[in-house]
Amino acid sequence: MMMIENGRSALPCDRTLRAMFEDRKSVFVDLLKWDVPVLDGRFELDQFDNEAATYIIIADEAGDHLGSARLLPTGRPHILGTLFPDLCASPPPGGPDVMEITRFCLSRRQRAAARQQTRNDLVSALVWYALDAGIRTYTGVAEVGWLQQILAFGWDCRPLGAPVRYDCGTVGALAIEITGETPSLLAGNGIWRPVCDPATLVPQAA
Amino acid sequence: MKAADLLGRSQRLSDPAWPALVNIFEPSGECGLELQALGRLGRRRKRLRSLRGGARQERTLWLRCLGTLLRSVAEGRARGMFNRVEEFIRDVRELASEDELAEAIGAVITDLGFRYFALAHHVDVRRSSSAIRIHNYPAGWAEWFDEQDLGAIDPVHRASNLTSVGFAWSKLPDMLALTPKDRRVLDLARREGIGDGFTVPAHVPGEAHGSCSFACPAGERICAEHLPLLQLVGAYAFEAARRMQRMRLAPGPVQLTDRQRECVMWAARGKSDWEIAKVLGVSEATVGEHLRHAYERYGVGKRTLVAVHALFDGTIGFLDVLRR
Repeated sequence: MMMIENGRSALPCDRTLRAMFEDRKSVFVDLLKWDVPVLDGRFELDQFDNEAATYIIIADEAGDHLGSARLLPTGRPHILGTLFPDLCASPPPGGPDVMEITRFCLSRRQRAAARQQTRNDLVSALVWYALDAGIRTYTGVAEVGWLQQILAFGWDCRPLGAPVRYDCGTVGALAIEITGETPSLLAGNGIWRPVCDPATLVPQAA
Repeated sequence: MKAADLLGRSQRLSDPAWPALVNIFEPSGECGLELQALGRLGRRRKRLRSLRGGARQERTLWLRCLGTLLRSVAEGRARGMFNRVEEFIRDVRELASEDELAEAIGAVITDLGFRYFALAHHVDVRRSSSAIRIHNYPAGWAEWFDEQDLGAIDPVHRASNLTSVGFAWSKLPDMLALTPKDRRVLDLARREGIGDGFTVPAHVPGEAHGSCSFACPAGERICAEHLPLLQLVGAYAFEAARRMQRMRLAPGPVQLTDRQRECVMWAARGKSDWEIAKVLGVSEATVGEHLRHAYERYGVGKRTLVAVHALFDGTIGFLDVLRR
């Protein structure tokens, strides 16, 4: 099931959100060794987890977090604009119809096959959300090791500059254009899943 | 400060590096000339630094100008090359045939200072009808490579299965324990005229591992400043080849049912049918049936082989098998 949460209500009190911040710690701190703040030794939360953030979450029947992504508006400080401006050959895309995908996270508690299904659900949910909210472009910073997989989704994804090697790895900036055609591009690669059937969408009170 | 202003200012100075500067801005279009000029500039910069006394102010100004100039030339070149790669990325999206793709890759890597490329799935010959392989290596080399059945055991392919980020071939000995045969393969490649190289791994979950390699003619060194861009060229080239291959092939990859996959995963962990039956809560005969169907789908007859195939194409993950 797909859930949309915005940062105003997103304090780590709700069960799904707590699990999301815990899984983020397990993936980004424990597994990928990112140098990011950890709250209370359990939750990975940084300065961008604020009222401007939107979370797209895939959860199981019981409401447990399976995967999620954090969307940041590009009109305010965000990761590409604030932390990695050198990754773009020209000024990074920005504006009300551009959001940045950050903290794309798949819970490590799943096996390979289930994780792949959650990944497909999450990618589909991101596209569905963009179409619904009038977002035309997603930007993002990704380690180059993920690039092949991101391209294999079949959507329209282009680099914004040459990748750069940092101590933490080689990363690059990407832009993904979302149009009415995107769902069929994803479907052609076996990625698209009907996560957004109104019956399975859990609307969140503001 | 703009380059033109800098030039105007520097002309007023009695500058020893002036001829080199003129070289840089002459629209010769030849990268080699520019590089030579930059090299000369660098050497003269050192000499300028060693000046003493009198012309100190002039010298300081000069050093600042040169620094800015060198940076702007380097940035301009980098931006130009990124534009070239962007053009390649736009173009390959429209291409329909592997020949056109090979031509486009050959052209872009020439601009990046490379000569050869090979884009391949790392698979054995038996399944090679569905595998991607596009290259412009010397004909003799490709034939020998096939005769030796190197697709899956080539040291470059093996190393690329160990990482998700591009690596220079000079790093191979740090990544793998090279066998005498590996060294022979690398020596022979050099003898065929293939020199230093850089390989971009191409891993798509659920599919065979692949890679895109780029090499210089033997005796030439790889151009390190362009390696980040090669990373992009490799990824987009591989995706274009993948798209073409999908159009060429009607049936998709081997697909197991969830139950078959679970049985294969436990078999890969070394469990017997009886043990798997206990774990899954089904009869031993049912487990045997699931595994037999999995054998059939892969066209193999042994549990070791079915496990290896399922690991190789990503149907089960290494972590699933190794997890305790």
